[in-house]
Amino acid sequence: MSKQQPVLFRIGWNACINCGACVAICPQEAGFVSPFDTIAVDRPCDIACLLCEQICPVDTIRHETVPAQGVTPTGGANR
Amino acid sequence: MPPVDFDVVIVGSGPAGSTVARFSAEAGLKVLLVDKRQELGAPVQCSGAISHHALAAAGIGIDAEYIHEAIYGFAIYDAEGRRTVHDYRVLKPEAYGEAAGKQPLGYVVDRRRFDRYLMTQAERAGAEVWLKTEGLGYAPRPDGTCTVDLLRYATPVTVTARLLVGADGIQSQVGKWAGLQTHIKITELAGCLQYIVDGVQTEGLLEIVTGHRWAPGGYAWVFPKGHGYAEVGLGVIATMTNQPAREHLEHFLRTSFFNGRFTDCRILEVQGGGVPLAAPLRTQFADNLLLVGDAARHVNPITGGGLHTAVAGGKIAADFLVEHLGSDGPLQDGGLRGYQERWLEELGNKMWKLHGIKTDIFHDMDLERRDRRLYDTMADYFSPTSEYKKI
Repeated sequence: MSKQQPVLFRIGWNACINCGACVAICPQEAGFVSPFDTIAVDRPCDIACLLCEQICPVDTIRHETVPAQGVTPTGGANR
Repeated sequence: MPPVDFDVVIVGSGPAGSTVARFSAEAGLKVLLVDKRQELGAPVQCSGAISHHALAAAGIGIDAEYIHEAIYGFAIYDAEGRRTVHDYRVLKPEAYGEAAGKQPLGYVVDRRRFDRYLMTQAERAGAEVWLKTEGLGYAPRPDGTCTVDLLRYATPVTVTARLLVGADGIQSQVGKWAGLQTHIKITELAGCLQYIVDGVQTEGLLEIVTGHRWAPGGYAWVFPKGHGYAEVGLGVIATMTNQPAREHLEHFLRTSFFNGRFTDCRILEVQGGGVPLAAPLRTQFADNLLLVGDAARHVNPITGGGLHTAVAGGKIAADFLVEHLGSDGPLQDGGLRGYQERWLEELGNKMWKLHGIKTDIFHDMDLERRDRRLYDTMADYFSPTSEYKKI
């Protein structure tokens, strides 16, 4: 389990050139993608290595940290 | 073997995938080629340079449909602007030139037209092509075949096949479906950006600018793009800079030793992508599965060029699978290892060697010496005497 706190990525769609570099560098399993050739933006990334932000040729990936999955703030179990 | 919908399903109709499709279909196999896009080759992520030799060797006709401009050689610059020129019009005037009876050394192609042209060749050879169709997953079956899950115009479709070929490019998911180790190290994926520009003169040469100050971890380029246009771009390695590729490109255009050359430069298109300057994947096959092209990291680690390696690798894959399926060879439990062995022998071992040379250069922590070594290596690489000039 990663010591990093999970993050949710945000992409500046206006700057994104749909080049796929963020997906190529991503160590996640298959399917952690958006329909626009980027990493997924609809669910948290629990690896949080942030390599995608580093590789982006137009520097347009940002993130916010989100609560760890497994145990939600209310104590309920997540999937 | 039980009946299947297709002998071969290929995910991704770029140069590698459509080459596999074309030669497989020509040999009489039942082929399905799918691509998730509505227009192939777009958005463009490639400078489009390919040698005449590479096209000829892969049986691809030279056609004005996809050619932006013919090129005749190379100019390699060091960081200060001193250059080595290998102009094959001068070096081998009997073979290369603009005059009738002579040929170009290579071409800068329009990837949108090139990819469509190659797909057309596959269709004419008998391959079925589905656009707007994305691969979602696959599963080998105990009977030796596999199922491939597709999404076609947002409708799920499952087909059965003997073999699946992953040709889904830099952001490949197909290899991951089989659990192959496909993600690229941050030190080996160049973030690239290029502008198609008006108002920049070129001279029929591919110009390559080395030097850490311009493109840390990579190089910058100025290529002729036809109709008086040029493309100016560069690739950088993220761990060697804290600026994105775009900042480096702007810096290059503003401050390069070309002085006034970019003053009237007007940007017509913005293109970019990730280019693996990586070693090829150590394992490029799994049960009922082969990988080709960028998906297998079939990219020249010195030049970042991926077109020649894609079509050459696609042809190797097609030749292999035609023979292998023809003789009812095993498709699971390592049965496809022969593909990788053949690829290594014909192309891969040289690419591993180039990867070693590149790694050695960029591990040199003395920047001045590294710059000099990269310049010398590139200048030598494109010379007529280079042992690698056919990659």
